[in-house]
Amino acid sequence: MTFRKGQRVELFRESRDESWEAYMREYIGCHGVVTDPDTSINDPDALVEVSLEGKGTHRFPQDCLRPLE
Amino acid sequence: MSEPLCPVRSTIDQIERICQSNALVNPKSRRITEEILELLNDVAWGRAGSDHLSSIKALGEELAQHDNKPECTRVAQLVEDAVTVHLETFESHVRTHNCATGECVKLAPAPCQMACPAGIDVPTYVTLIGMGHDAEAISVIRKDNPFPWVCGLVCTRPCEMMCVRGRMDEPVSIKFLKAFAAERAMSERSYQNPPKAPDKGRKVAIVGAGPAGMSAAYYLALKGYGVEVFEDLPMAGGMIMVGIPRYRLPREVIDREVGMLEELGVVFHFNTRFGRDVTLNSLKDAGFEAFFIAIGAHGSFRLNIPGESDYPRVSDAISLLKKVALGDRNIPGRRVVVVGGGNVAIDAARTCLRLGCESVTIAYRRTRNEMPADIEEIEQAEEEGIEITFLTIPVAVEGKDGQVTGLRCLRAKLVVKEGTDRLYPKPVEGSEFVLPADAVIAAIGQQVQTECLQTVEGLHWSRRQTIGVDLACMQTDLPGVFAAGDAVTGPATVIEAIGGGKRAAEAIDRHLSGLPQPKMPPVPVRRARTPWIEMTAAEKAGRRRPEMPLLNIDRRRLMFQQVELGYSEDDVRREAGRCLRCDICRRCGLCVEICRDRMKIGALHFGYMNFDQPGPTDLKITEKKCILCGACAANCPNEAIRIEDRNGERILSLCGTILNRRPLITCADCGAVIGTEAYIQHMNRKILAAEQTIDTVYRCAECHRKHQAQLSVDLARL
Ligand SMILES: Cc1cc2nc3c(=O)[nH]c(=O)nc-3n(C[C@H](O)[C@H](O)[C@H](O)COP(=O)(O)OP(=O)(O)OC[C@H]3O[C@@H](n4cnc5c(N)ncnc54)[C@H](O)[C@@H]3O)c2cc1C
Repeated sequence: MTFRKGQRVELFRESRDESWEAYMREYIGCHGVVTDPDTSINDPDALVEVSLEGKGTHRFPQDCLRPLE
Repeated sequence: MSEPLCPVRSTIDQIERICQSNALVNPKSRRITEEILELLNDVAWGRAGSDHLSSIKALGEELAQHDNKPECTRVAQLVEDAVTVHLETFESHVRTHNCATGECVKLAPAPCQMACPAGIDVPTYVTLIGMGHDAEAISVIRKDNPFPWVCGLVCTRPCEMMCVRGRMDEPVSIKFLKAFAAERAMSERSYQNPPKAPDKGRKVAIVGAGPAGMSAAYYLALKGYGVEVFEDLPMAGGMIMVGIPRYRLPREVIDREVGMLEELGVVFHFNTRFGRDVTLNSLKDAGFEAFFIAIGAHGSFRLNIPGESDYPRVSDAISLLKKVALGDRNIPGRRVVVVGGGNVAIDAARTCLRLGCESVTIAYRRTRNEMPADIEEIEQAEEEGIEITFLTIPVAVEGKDGQVTGLRCLRAKLVVKEGTDRLYPKPVEGSEFVLPADAVIAAIGQQVQTECLQTVEGLHWSRRQTIGVDLACMQTDLPGVFAAGDAVTGPATVIEAIGGGKRAAEAIDRHLSGLPQPKMPPVPVRRARTPWIEMTAAEKAGRRRPEMPLLNIDRRRLMFQQVELGYSEDDVRREAGRCLRCDICRRCGLCVEICRDRMKIGALHFGYMNFDQPGPTDLKITEKKCILCGACAANCPNEAIRIEDRNGERILSLCGTILNRRPLITCADCGAVIGTEAYIQHMNRKILAAEQTIDTVYRCAECHRKHQAQLSVDLARL
């Protein structure tokens, strides 16, 4: 999935990526907006910046995100 | 406002009041109390770890022993109660991150503030700008971000993407408001540093003078540490100075804001490379007790195609932009091809154009839809005459006599790769063609240059070749060594670097004070509850986000002059008034529900309140339907929606937006206020039997009773 700026997404599961942190478990099920996708090379491995409603802005691996629309 | 029910909130509030009263005159008592507050706030926000409560207890005991002034005794007593009487509640905050009363989110930051990686209190500063208090707005911003002017020009503005007004029409133009206020305050010399804490006599070393390093430097200097920054380049700024081109961010803006750090006593050592001129051990020997690594991501990915290393005029965007920023204004070639589709590719292409290149083409593998660069940047580049060739895969750099002659490419088509839903560019067989060029610039991504840290043993590197840290506090695996910015996230944004630098400064302070680190990233802090700006619903709904005036196209092709010219003062003040003040109205929807379901009126149409499925918003409809009963206001948990009687009128407002106002009806006999006509008629319709006619003379309950009694007496006499 290529994420686009402004796209609504859901953090739907834990990621297996090493950048996943234990505290992020609290965010599973949260909805948010992609605020900074990978802005250089459309890399499926890049971390994507997402602002989660009420939970702040974080960088997540792409395998735990899915688009809402 | 009523006293909070939650003991955590209540303890914080009481200690905060003691701090604000300036009663704690002894600096040590003040410091201990502030540390207690910091830890209590971690508890309130669910960021505390298992040792927080014991640390709070120890600090309380230290305070009691150190100072026997009544205020200190009071703080110590509050702490004692917290860890004894209210232990269970405190522990539940730590363990479950849950405040049963909901009080600990009473001051919940607005979505824009939550979205900001540096946690700036957006509604507060936007409102201050709307009121014309620019310098005050800047000092609010600088509590969380020391570079409001820089960010006002180049921030990627996650805040605007979460702006609730955007669900109504367009987000508030937060970024440009910030730029205006910073410029105005700077020009009026009212842009000032806050007072510094007394010198702690302890030194922190910072590696890299980019936004991450300088933000950490700023907050540590304010806390009283001696801060020295070691920077490889001859100037401060990092990528904002040597990456972002001057037509987007003038050098003076960076220099002025860096100057504020120097004024605080931050010392810069330029042309000093970590790993070559200084090392971790040499800095330890020089008396530094903590270290912050913020070296950015200055390496570039290579194209890995034949011919790439054979010609001098094949380079990467970062090197080109750096050379230009450092003063080299030679053109890279007459006809340039830039490979890539991100913001860096666009910056490199627009820079080449301004240097005087005759033609500049961007070659991108996918289509416009997948281009990762910002749409505004792409549009501005195309307006300036930059060509973009899509579905183009470079396969070789071609040349003759040591000079580049072109970039051999293949056409691509987008296909879905098995097992994924991602579109990949697949070369089309036999579609080879050559883009004529005498210079090729690769802009296909950056990476951290790891060599300078090779001597630092025990540093954890991620598989993305970034420095591994605990994101809650930016601490690396090495005690006393912290890192943030692009070196941790990979190429990211200025505001993330600033947020990381600030977080690291707080963690370094805790580390040096022997306090435990938080277990979760910090929750932004509300800086004030600024009064709202009053206006009618029609005005609020009718204001439109202004267009940004741009430099004329000829100059944009020829000069590095700033392209975005900034809003007029009038536009700025009006635009700030579009803010919905989500710091006060938390969009719980209770008012809408009560009006619709209990009162059966349905006068509140706030579709923007729903994040997932925003519905239509109509601020003006309230005036037509509302009876000014006040049920919405009575149930608002945060005093956002209010009903008040002013100058003979009853007024309903939401965060200053007047939704309805009607003349008040007074009792015909005694003059007491009874309500509005619509309200009385509504109540009459509900209370009186259907066959009864509604009296057009309004009386208060008492006079009505007397009147009825008199009528009965009169009737009896007949
Ligand atoms: C062309 C371009 C355009 C960009 N545009 C935007 C934009 O519009 N908006 C946005 O938000 N972000 C933008 N960015 C990204 C942004 O600039 C970075 O995310 C941000 O600057 C990172 O900050 P940092 O402090 O982590 O690193 P940097 O800003 O890279 O600073 C690191 C500093 O460390 C120094 N350094 C490196 N190694 C050593 C060493 N061994 N010893 C001493 N010093 C060292 C470097 O010289 C540099 O000064 C852009 C980036 C580029 C390249």
